[in-house]
Amino acid sequence: MNSEKTLSYFINKSNELVGKSFPKKIKIALLSSFTINGLKEIIQVKSSELNISASVYESPYNQYSQEILNKNSSFYKFKPDIVFLIIDSRTIFDELYHFPFSKSIQQKKIFIDEKILELKNLINYFVSNSDATMVLSNLNVPSSSSYGISESKLEYNLSEMIQEFNTKLISNYKKSEKIEILNFNSFISKFGEENIFDPRQYFFGDIRISMIFLPCFGQELMKFIVSFLGLTKKCLVLDLDNTLWGGIVGEDGFNGIKLGPEPPGNAFLEFQKTLLSLNQQGIILAINSKNNFEDGIQIIREHPYMILKENNFSSIRINWHDKVSNIKEIAKDLNIGLDSFVFLDDDKVNREFVKSVLPEVYVPELPDDPSLYSKFLLNMIEFSHLKITEEDKQRAKMYTQQKMRSELQNSTPDLKAFLKKLNLKIIIKKVDAFSLPRVSQLILKTNQFNLTTKRYKESEISTMMTDPNFFVGYVNVEDKFGDNGITGVFIIKKESKLIWNIDTLLLSCRVMGRDIEKGIFIYIVNKAKKENVKQIKSQFIPTQKNKPIEDFLPNSNFKKQDDHWIYMIKSILPYPDYLDLEI
Amino acid sequence: MSKKLYEIISKVMNIPISSIDDSMGPENIENWTSFNGYVLLHELETGFDVKFTINEAMDVTTIIDIKKHLKNKGISFD
Repeated sequence: MNSEKTLSYFINKSNELVGKSFPKKIKIALLSSFTINGLKEIIQVKSSELNISASVYESPYNQYSQEILNKNSSFYKFKPDIVFLIIDSRTIFDELYHFPFSKSIQQKKIFIDEKILELKNLINYFVSNSDATMVLSNLNVPSSSSYGISESKLEYNLSEMIQEFNTKLISNYKKSEKIEILNFNSFISKFGEENIFDPRQYFFGDIRISMIFLPCFGQELMKFIVSFLGLTKKCLVLDLDNTLWGGIVGEDGFNGIKLGPEPPGNAFLEFQKTLLSLNQQGIILAINSKNNFEDGIQIIREHPYMILKENNFSSIRINWHDKVSNIKEIAKDLNIGLDSFVFLDDDKVNREFVKSVLPEVYVPELPDDPSLYSKFLLNMIEFSHLKITEEDKQRAKMYTQQKMRSELQNSTPDLKAFLKKLNLKIIIKKVDAFSLPRVSQLILKTNQFNLTTKRYKESEISTMMTDPNFFVGYVNVEDKFGDNGITGVFIIKKESKLIWNIDTLLLSCRVMGRDIEKGIFIYIVNKAKKENVKQIKSQFIPTQKNKPIEDFLPNSNFKKQDDHWIYMIKSILPYPDYLDLEI
Repeated sequence: MSKKLYEIISKVMNIPISSIDDSMGPENIENWTSFNGYVLLHELETGFDVKFTINEAMDVTTIIDIKKHLKNKGISFD
C-alpha cells in the first residue's frame, strides 16, 4: 500500500518553493550508484511541510566515488550537513549478482572483504574531508535468483554474501558519530521488490526505485533529516475511548470495552505495545480524555489487558474539559513547548478543534480502522531518532518523579525552602565520548532555557572537546526523587588569557526553576578566577522561545556593553546552601 | 481524452495547455528532458491505466507517438 502523492506532484510543488524560506535550514547531498532523479524535489517539498528549507545537491549519475575522492569536487564545495550515499547490490556485486557460483567460496569471502575495505576507504576519505553526517545504505537482498529454488541449499549463495556484507558494514559503523545506516533492505521488504523494482524503468533509465515508490523512499530519508535537526517530538497525547481501547467506557462499561486477544481488541493491544515501546525509547505519554475520571482510571489500573500502566503516563487529564485546555495543562505539567506535542484522537472533530486552536501541536489523521493504528504510529517520522541515549530510556521515569516534585513545590510556599527540601546535587564534568551523544541532543533540541540557541553538530562539539581554546561541560542534576541525568550544557570559548566567552549555556526544561544555572555560573566564575581570567562575556540571542533565560545575564551581574554582556571577575563566589556541587 | 492527455503533459512539462501541439516533443519542449520523459510515461500509465513496453517507450519522439501507442491500447482521442 502506498499513500504517497505522485512524483509529478512533488516536482511541480518544488517549483513553487523557489524564493521561499523556512526557519530551519539544511544542506543535503544525495550520492547514488543509480538514477534517483526526483528525490531532490521530494525531499525539498517534504522538508518545506515541516518548515525546513532544504538545499539539495545531487551527484552526477553513478559518480559517488569520484565525488568523494576528489577534495575539490562540487560535492565538497556544496558543504552539506548530511549526505545520503545510496548503493545497491547490483552495483557492488556486479557480475557476481548474476553468477554467484562463478567463484569459489574462498574467492567470494575475499571479494566481500575487498568491497567492505573499498567502502571503508571511501568513507574514511569522506570523514577526513567533511564535517557532514553520512547516511549510508545497506544492500538489498534480492527475492529471487537465477538458481531458483535450489539456491537456498547452495553454500554461500548470493543472499548469504549480501547478508554478510551488511553485517560487516553495520559492525564497522555501529559506534560511529558521523556515519548512520539506512536500512535499504528493509525499505524494499516493506514495500516489496516487485513494486520497488520496475524492470522497464530500470532498463530504460537505470531507475532502481520505481517512480511510484520514490516518494516513499523520500519519506524514509526524512526520518534522518528530522532527527538530525533535533525536530523529534517529545510527547504523545492520547485519547482513551476508541483510541487506547475499542468502545466507550462510559457506555459500554468496564467489561464491555474491546481490549484483549480477540478481534478487534487485539488491534488496540498491538497499538498499546507500540506505544509502550515508544515510551521505553523516551517518548512521554499523556492522556487527554473526555470521561468520568473514575471510569477511565479504573480501566488503566485494573483492566487485565491494559499494556500501558498508570506510571507510563506522565500527565493524565480525564475530565469533561475541552481537549485544548487539557493539552495546555499537560504542557504546563511537563514544562515542554506545544510544538513538541503530537495529539492522537479517533474523533475528527476533536482533531480539528486542537489543530485550529493550537497549530503548534501536530495532529495527524489517525486511520479510521484501529487495525492500522500500530502501523500508522511506526511509520510516523516525528518520533525518529538517530540515537537513544540513557536519558531517553529513563525519561518516562523522570517525568513521574517530576510529578512528585511539583506536588512538593505546591506544598512549600517559599522557593528557597523548596529547593532545600529537594536535596539538589549538581555534578559538573567535562564532556567525554560517553556523554557526547546526550550533549549533542540537548544542543540540538533545547529551546526554552538556552542563552544563544547555537546548534552544533556532534562532530563540531567533538572538535571543540579537543580544542584547548574551548571548555565543553555538562551538568548532571540529582535530587531526592532521583537522577535527572545530563540536563545542562555549557561551552566556554577562551578568547584570550584574560577573557572567556560563554558561547552556549542551556538547561533542559526538566530542571528549570531550580537555580541550576546559578550553580553553573558560579562554577564558571570560580574556574576562571583560578586561571586568572579577568572578564567573562556572553550574549543573549533572543528567539521566540527562550524568554525564560532572558534575565539570566543581568541577574548574574553582567553589564551590557554594545551587543555583549560583561562580567568583571573580582573574587571566588560561594555556592548557595541548597546546591551541593560535585566536580 | 485529448484534454486529459494535454493536462498530464502540461503538468509534467510545466507548460500551459494552450501551448501544446501534437507535433511537439523533446526537440521543442524545453523541460522534456530524458528524466521528464520517464516521468511523463509514468504519469500516462497511471492516468490512463495502461502499461508501455520498453519498445514503445523508446519510440516516443512526439505527442503524436504517444497518441498512437495509447490508441493501440484502446484509448480513443476522437
